[in-house]
Amino acid sequence: MMPSGAILRCNKLGDREALTAVAGEFRVRLGVHNLSADQVTAFRDAYRQMMQISDNRGYQFFAGLHGVPSWYCWHHQHNSHSAQQMRLFLPWHRAYLYNFEMAMRDRVPGVTLPWWDWTLRPPRQRGIPDIFAAPTAGNRPNPLATFRINLPNTKPSLMHKTVRHPGAPNDLPGQSDVDDVLSRTDWNDFNGAIEDVHDAVHGWVSGDMGVVGTAAFDPIFWSHHAMIDRIWWLWQVRNGSGNISMDLLDKVLAPFNFRVRDVLNVNDLGYDYAAAQTVASAGGTG
Amino acid sequence: MAKTPRKPPTAPKEAPPPRRALAAPTRGKVPARTFTSRPVPVEFAAPEHRFVRADIEISGIFHGEASYEGRIFLNNPKADANTPKDLAHGYAGSFHIFGHGGCLGDAGHCEVNEHNRESYDFRSPHPLTPAEKHVTVTTALREIAKSSKAVTITVVPVVTAVNELCDGENVFRCENIQFVTYN
Repeated sequence: MMPSGAILRCNKLGDREALTAVAGEFRVRLGVHNLSADQVTAFRDAYRQMMQISDNRGYQFFAGLHGVPSWYCWHHQHNSHSAQQMRLFLPWHRAYLYNFEMAMRDRVPGVTLPWWDWTLRPPRQRGIPDIFAAPTAGNRPNPLATFRINLPNTKPSLMHKTVRHPGAPNDLPGQSDVDDVLSRTDWNDFNGAIEDVHDAVHGWVSGDMGVVGTAAFDPIFWSHHAMIDRIWWLWQVRNGSGNISMDLLDKVLAPFNFRVRDVLNVNDLGYDYAAAQTVASAGGTG
Repeated sequence: MAKTPRKPPTAPKEAPPPRRALAAPTRGKVPARTFTSRPVPVEFAAPEHRFVRADIEISGIFHGEASYEGRIFLNNPKADANTPKDLAHGYAGSFHIFGHGGCLGDAGHCEVNEHNRESYDFRSPHPLTPAEKHVTVTTALREIAKSSKAVTITVVPVVTAVNELCDGENVFRCENIQFVTYN
């Protein structure tokens, strides 16, 4: 199926050659539950390679932008105490994931960041997806299971492998929670509701994912946020940008070279989310 | 030529004690302190007001330490972490705080000073500027309004992630809780 984003790009450029040029680079993010074996291998390989790089192309660098030690992330910033109503939770994380996914693709061309649909229930999925939970993959440590944080200079230092203490699978937010969030047509209302669902999942995973400071070091962080980003995109498809304030549009999403207005359309960022689908083959006549 | 006597080796300075690395967060091991508001006259939610939605708005929430689910019960001040989350027990909804996980900086790193900003201070707000949460409690409030003249709000924090830098008991701290109804 042609991703809708590619069609949008074609219309925008009005040029079939342009579509051909970008089609190979256009990224379609898939659900973790729909990845093929080869896609899982590529996904793991990208993380494994990034985890071996200690400079600003590596996993620790990107994870460290969120909480410890750089603290760039935006959470809970819609309140009457602040002179600026910085509802940057969604756009900042979209820019963050964009940069992380590009760094993944520098290591493994063509790989995309899949979303973890935590609304799925057994038998389709039971809590933490298997590809993240398995301690090993192909007789090697599974890079999606844990990451060793190496921050000797924080106070106190952080030098441990990330852990999780997940709750009961049925305690994860369900489809009704997502439906409730998507039913809110006001940007501020939606923003608060989706952030709360997001907070609930961090708490459900617990361990390092459970606090802002270390959450991004857990490899499942990125797929959780891909799910949040997808829900925002689903909301945008229905509501456009909503009544997002003009003041917000020109806010810079440091340390990335984006403003809020630059990340509103995921197709402009070169990606889209695959339609949720379930295939139940009935075979053929041959 | 006489050799310059070599200085006797000085005793090595005592090495600073190694800083103990912070362990990964765990789930809360002790019950966190619950909060119950004073009774609020429930007249504002009487049937004639015909609200279509009612929220509890909690402002000035501290989020610098542990993460938790704040379970909200109406007219059930004895609610605790084991109380069923159903209407019969006054459960109205939950909010979730994704806590910072304690201070990992030098002294003052986590002090919020938003009230004393200079006029031309265009830097971003402090990450620990207190939060606001809205919990929609329409159904539970309608039930209360049928049979009660006042309503209390009890918040039961269930700690989902805490480390040794966090106060695991005094978890829920806020400045104000209020009902807001929409017609």
